[in-house]
Amino acid sequence: MNMSVNDQGLDSDSTMDVEVVIDTEEELIKECEEMWKDMEECQNKLSLIGTETLTNSNAQLSLLIMQVKCLTAELSQWHKKTAEITPLTEDVLVTLGKEEFQKLRHDLEMVLSTIQSKNEKLKEDLEREQQWLHEQQQIMETLQELHSELKNQVVTFSESRIFNELKAKMLSIKEFKEKLLIALGEFLEDHFPLPDGNVKKKRKNIQESTAQLITLHEILEILINRMFDVPHDPYVKISNSFWPPYVELLLRNGIALRNPEDPTQIRLEAFHQ
Amino acid sequence: MSVLRPMDKLPDLNRATVLLVSTEDALLQQLADAMLREDCASELRVHLAKSLPLPSNVNRPRVDLIVFVINLHSKYSLQNVEESLQHVDSSFFLGKVCFLVTGAGRESHCSIHRNTVVKLAHTYRCSLLFCDLEVEGFRATMAQRLVRMLQICAGHVPGVSALNLPSLLRSSEGTLLEEL
Repeated sequence: MNMSVNDQGLDSDSTMDVEVVIDTEEELIKECEEMWKDMEECQNKLSLIGTETLTNSNAQLSLLIMQVKCLTAELSQWHKKTAEITPLTEDVLVTLGKEEFQKLRHDLEMVLSTIQSKNEKLKEDLEREQQWLHEQQQIMETLQELHSELKNQVVTFSESRIFNELKAKMLSIKEFKEKLLIALGEFLEDHFPLPDGNVKKKRKNIQESTAQLITLHEILEILINRMFDVPHDPYVKISNSFWPPYVELLLRNGIALRNPEDPTQIRLEAFHQ
Repeated sequence: MSVLRPMDKLPDLNRATVLLVSTEDALLQQLADAMLREDCASELRVHLAKSLPLPSNVNRPRVDLIVFVINLHSKYSLQNVEESLQHVDSSFFLGKVCFLVTGAGRESHCSIHRNTVVKLAHTYRCSLLFCDLEVEGFRATMAQRLVRMLQICAGHVPGVSALNLPSLLRSSEGTLLEEL
């Protein structure tokens, strides 16, 4: 009858610490030797049993029968066997206790290191968050200052006031323009008189046999008005009332330009553009 | 000796020996390496053989577990295993023999049907394991399983005997076949 040998499991207990008192060790060795003797006896019995091989046809049945026998034997063996505890002498207890404590210590150390690293991480996070908060607070303060400043600068918006301001501006500009024109007229009268010395009255184009000459001032007026009235065609035909030397003067000094397509036309140079 | 017997010698202390039988040398070698790499409290011995019977002039320890590796791609491997089965003592089949089938993944290359192997394992009341031994990950997992099985068969695991193994490793396929 074949039986599986389960007693080898106790072999591991034979490796004990050297610190253990010899008594326990000797006892265990004795137990092991007895077991080994049992095994040798079983081995001798086994070697007397012959071998048997199987073929496909008889395999299942014979194996099932064998299995039944073996399992029943194992079952009865389990029933018979009482659990044997290793004799709990002081030495054994001490060793076992030491082992438990070692394990506990190892686990606690692991927990400690995990918690420490978590702690570190949390500290870093806290620092980072604090810095961020600080920056945000600074931003907040600056914005608040800006806000209060802007508030003070805001004046109540009133349309009529702006209108009046613009009107005043326009008036002052118009005054300035008048002043400039008067100054220009005086300057031209002094330095660029008409050839016969007579100052021609303005705005009276009396058509006599020879066209009356107009002053340089008037020529300039014509040119300026033409320039602003008809910007796309600022050309003025040179009439007989223009005194030729003055026309020449304007052309030579770049104040007026001839029309490249028609030499009898001139225009004012666009000083404002 | 022409027939392999399970209890022909006294066991060596803390030692477990497994015999891998297959025509697939390369796979066997890789499986053996994977098994030896495993962490194990017992001292492992792995023997490789192409077929049984083993040459009798070699002094070897008693074998605790025989693993027959069958490749579904080759009819020859199945034939070889069936012939080797004649040289195994019947008492080995009480849990100390295991069939390991490889190559089931590639259906197109299979020349043996899965059911053939299932029936074979069923006839001999042995555990049947499927694994693609060419993939390293699967091979390592299978090596781990085999090492645990070996420890049980060598009696190094208190409370579990080799007799319990076939029923513990029964898959749903086994029960299906029984209903047929």
